[in-house]
Amino acid sequence: MKTEKKNKGVLLPHLIRYSPVYLIGLAALFMVDYVQLFIPQYMGEVTDGLASHTIDGPGIWSLCFKIILCGAMHLLGRFVWRYCIFGTARKVERKMRNGLFAHLETLSQRYYHEHKTGDLMSYFTNDLEAVRMAVGPAIVTAFDATVMTVMVLVRMITHISLTLTLYALIPMAVLAAFGYFYGHTIENRYRKMQKAFADLQDYVQESVSGERVVKAFVQEEKQKAAFREVNDNKRRASLHVVKLSAFFLPMLQFLVGVTYVIAILIGGWFTMTGEMTLGKFVTFNAYIGSLVWPMLALGDAITTISQGIAGVRRIHEVMDEKPEIRDAAQPDDVTALTGELRLEDVSFTYAPNLPEKLTHVSVEVKPGETLAVMGRTGSGKTTLVNLLCRLYDVEQGRITYDGHDIKQIPLHVLRENIAYVPQDNFLFSQTLAENISFGRLDASQEQIEAAAMAADIHDNIMDFPERYGTMVGERGVTLSGGQKQRTSIARALLKDSPILILDDSLSAVDTDTEERILQNLKEYRKGKTNIIIAHRVSTVQNADHILVLDEGVPAEYGTHEELMARDGIFASMARKQQLEQQLLAAE
Amino acid sequence: MAQMHEEALETKYEGNVFTRLLAYVKPHVKTMVLALILVLTVTGINLVKPVLIGTAIDKYIEGYDKPYAIVAPEQAQVQLGEGLFLSTDIPAGEDAELVRLIYVNEQYFLVWDLKKADLEPLSEWEKAGSPGFRVNALSSTNPQHWEFELNGRRLDASPMDKDQLAQLRAADRSGIIRIALLYAGLLIAGFFLQLSQTWLLQKTGQSIIFTIREEIFAHVHSLPLRFFDTNPVGRIVTRVTNDVESLNQMYTQVLVRLISNTVLIIGYAVVMISINPRLALISFLFLPVVFAFTLTFRILIRKIYRIVRTKISALNTFLSENISGMKLIQLFAREEKKAEEFGERTTDLYNTQMKEMAIFGMFRPGLSFIANIAYALIIYRSGVSVLEGALTLGTLYIFTNYIRSFFEPIQELAEQFSTLQNAMASAEKIFTILDEKNTIPEPEEPVRMPEFKGRIEFRNVWFAYENEDWVLKDVSFVIRPGERVAFVGATGAGKSSILNLIGRYYDIQKGEILIDGVNIRDLSLADLRRAIGQVQQDVFVFTGDIKSNIRLLSEEITDEEIRAAAHASNADHFIAKLPAGYDEPVTERGSTLSAGERQLLSFARTLAFDPKILVLDEATANIDTETEQLIQAALETLMQGRTSIVVAHRLSTIQHADEILVMHKGRIRERGSHQELLALNGIYKKLYELQAQ
Repeated sequence: MKTEKKNKGVLLPHLIRYSPVYLIGLAALFMVDYVQLFIPQYMGEVTDGLASHTIDGPGIWSLCFKIILCGAMHLLGRFVWRYCIFGTARKVERKMRNGLFAHLETLSQRYYHEHKTGDLMSYFTNDLEAVRMAVGPAIVTAFDATVMTVMVLVRMITHISLTLTLYALIPMAVLAAFGYFYGHTIENRYRKMQKAFADLQDYVQESVSGERVVKAFVQEEKQKAAFREVNDNKRRASLHVVKLSAFFLPMLQFLVGVTYVIAILIGGWFTMTGEMTLGKFVTFNAYIGSLVWPMLALGDAITTISQGIAGVRRIHEVMDEKPEIRDAAQPDDVTALTGELRLEDVSFTYAPNLPEKLTHVSVEVKPGETLAVMGRTGSGKTTLVNLLCRLYDVEQGRITYDGHDIKQIPLHVLRENIAYVPQDNFLFSQTLAENISFGRLDASQEQIEAAAMAADIHDNIMDFPERYGTMVGERGVTLSGGQKQRTSIARALLKDSPILILDDSLSAVDTDTEERILQNLKEYRKGKTNIIIAHRVSTVQNADHILVLDEGVPAEYGTHEELMARDGIFASMARKQQLEQQLLAAE
Repeated sequence: MAQMHEEALETKYEGNVFTRLLAYVKPHVKTMVLALILVLTVTGINLVKPVLIGTAIDKYIEGYDKPYAIVAPEQAQVQLGEGLFLSTDIPAGEDAELVRLIYVNEQYFLVWDLKKADLEPLSEWEKAGSPGFRVNALSSTNPQHWEFELNGRRLDASPMDKDQLAQLRAADRSGIIRIALLYAGLLIAGFFLQLSQTWLLQKTGQSIIFTIREEIFAHVHSLPLRFFDTNPVGRIVTRVTNDVESLNQMYTQVLVRLISNTVLIIGYAVVMISINPRLALISFLFLPVVFAFTLTFRILIRKIYRIVRTKISALNTFLSENISGMKLIQLFAREEKKAEEFGERTTDLYNTQMKEMAIFGMFRPGLSFIANIAYALIIYRSGVSVLEGALTLGTLYIFTNYIRSFFEPIQELAEQFSTLQNAMASAEKIFTILDEKNTIPEPEEPVRMPEFKGRIEFRNVWFAYENEDWVLKDVSFVIRPGERVAFVGATGAGKSSILNLIGRYYDIQKGEILIDGVNIRDLSLADLRRAIGQVQQDVFVFTGDIKSNIRLLSEEITDEEIRAAAHASNADHFIAKLPAGYDEPVTERGSTLSAGERQLLSFARTLAFDPKILVLDEATANIDTETEQLIQAALETLMQGRTSIVVAHRLSTIQHADEILVMHKGRIRERGSHQELLALNGIYKKLYELQAQ
């Protein structure tokens, strides 16, 4: 009951909003069904007129004209209902799709860690589709089939003959029962076939992915033999479906045919004995044809509607998800940050049962200073950044900007004042200019180029055929890791925020380029705060403070000189990297 | 744009796709012909059905206008009331006393006192709309008595009630029963014919695609690694699965239906012409209209459908990209802008889909409108013909029935053409893969080696994955049977390539690689690779259990051998801890095995196959100390008695090697034992110090 009520929140408001159009559509559908009844009747009247010699040429013509008129109304009605009902379904789909996306944008990173992109995508594809199919075609089918059956039956009984109708209904009832049984069984078998097909896909996928092993252990022939089995399973599953469907269609024709036999026998006899006119006999024959479809369609429609309800339910699960990181109920009145920040005894773990990622970290950075954070993979550097950007909330200790607790700063103010270069250098499939100005939509071409120059990517961009208009990704150029990094740096620089965070963002560029970028940074970021996370000692040597993390614990803290003198982790990293340099230079 | 590009890349196949597809039908020609005959028979049956009903109407239902002779009781076929005996056998001579039914005002009357000469004028009178038919006021016995004048003669007619009609028309009734039985017989025959036809075709289709699948799968596995470097796994999977699947419809439906629908159209045409050429011609006038209409809409629908597909996939790409990049959107506070962008895209998609719907909304209703016009015109024309006496009502029924079904095969043909088009597109992609040349050919007459000793020699080997980007430059070395050689060097120095070349996964451009003095190009690939046990850095785990991952598909490896191999490679330690031991299910994705355990598993795998030469790429992954020790011990067992070539990262492996070859930028720069190389104070020393840090 409770879920019922909740479901209404996702779908019903949209349906109600578009209900007038939807109702027009249903009315048109009704008209189509109604009009359709008349064509066989006019045909019957022509026949009767001819049989009893009471009709003349113009009389036939006027009936034929009525048939054409019915055809025209039929055409119009079908178009109108399609447009109104299917159109509404599309509108609802669009609204729900937009709503879903907007909601996803509010959800926190933790949610994205727990839910794979593919799973989230399936809400947009499978579930929305199921809802649309239910709201559109399934409702139409259910309505249409019911209305049609009732109307045809009523006409058969009142206009033609109750007895004949009852006889004709016998095979039709068998047909409906048969159709229902068939629908269930075929769905079952169809699922099995899809499963066999998925197995086939999985098998090929795995076999091809493991190609090296297959070749190394000379397993080709054996793979073929094993594939034969999977392939044969698929074949047999397909034939299992076919066995039923190959039976169904002829059976359907047979049952419809039996109805015609009944019509000939009983209807023909009625006609001969004067109980029924020949025209009615002809009309009845035509009506039989229009009863077949509704008998079969109803079962399908019910299945589709139940799938739609399941879809609504699943979508609702997402919409019910509450964003974890939100503005405080009464945030501080902050509109800009200066770049002063402080971590006070911060400890953090992603989940209570996981080990601590950060342990008692305290740092202070004044406006204009550069803090470098170093450490091995998994030492907690990225976690620190995640906390600084408030992608996760600190549970123990405190982070403050300009003295304000991070949780008290409006989220959009915080994020607009931090420019961030992520580790994975994510770029959107847009033009380079659009990517760089992502943080500052009103940037001029000059500003974009200036940022690109500072990030040492301008020259590369000018080499692309479309320059700044070049698309990134599949539809345009494929950027190298270093180019992506530098574009990503340009994007952050253009944002020109008081705080810049580089999360291991110079790893894919060579040392010369790195040096140039660091030099440019000094100019570009004069008087502003930088937080640089790095692996390379060369990247951090000019920072005001260097924090070395070791498994989440602040191990060393100081300037480059101080840390070298200390001869600890930092100094050892520095020596190792120097060796690597030398090795690379050897030729 | 990008999609077109992609398509162009994937289909390089040129040539007659259709002929090649037909070649697969060859083994099934008999079945296909049989199916075709069945389809044609069913088609014939479907043509006859309305004719039967038409005949029933003309001959029996409307067949009341037969005269009866009044005869003696013993000759009677029908007895009406007390003393009226009738027979359909009309005696010779003009004087026979006849009666006949007429149908006026939707009621049957029996006309009395007819002579043979009256029959013709009576029919004329009926067609003229029965003028002057009135109640006989003078009749006292029956107030319902009617009369009319024919050729100046006054004729009497009595209305017939249900029972009288039933008696009178008993003969017509048995006629109708005969037709009904015939109809039912056709139904049953049609049922079985269609059933067997569908079954035959589907069975054939399935076995054809089974064969094609097997062919591609086998072919793909015969291709060298280079093919897999350039073709993503997903694409290959699609070829073997979906693309082949889309051929099914072509084999099961299109081929036969193309013929049967053409026959059906011709059949309708012939029957219609033979019944009434004029009406047939009117019906044919609609053929080009329906054809043009269908074709136009098919093209439009195809076009818009493609646009919609592209837009949907673009929207999905946008979605998955933005869900993946959600962190960035949130960090840059761009939620609103992205939602707006998304809204624009969904609106754009919505508009296109509405357009698609409008086209769809015009197509089917439009067709049925045309069909209705044709229907009305045929009714009018044939109605007038009936009035003129040129056509019977039964024929009218047949024609109106035919015109209803006449356009179906045309639409079906159009549908089948588009199925055919899709199948062709898939077939092209399939053939492109099937025509992919194997760039590592087997030698025509391979040198058979009774046993490998394990001597490996590289003679001035030059190798590049592409063009002239040399990965190995003039590399030469000899490894004697049973020796251990370690390759060391920085990433990209060419070490792993050497391992790839020994098993001939790639062919070299210059120089020679010899095993036991024989060029590897002269050995059969299977022999060569069987002699080499290759342990890769990334261990691929197949879906199955531990056992099946050790023996792979080689069932000849017994459970004991598996256990022995696992024991020797120290893998049995972790296997024993698994809940189901050797039967523990494992998969590539979502595998619970750690990197170290995977290594041990692959050692066991290699040991189980007992190769002469061991080629090993040591994993660099982080491995816990305990497992690390197990691995080191296992390595020792593994290398025992085998020529071993190791791309080494572990100090212990390096130190225990008989010879160390130092690779740098594609060349062997230093060689010797550990101590010798350290004394050299070159690249090796630096590498060593790095490692020791």
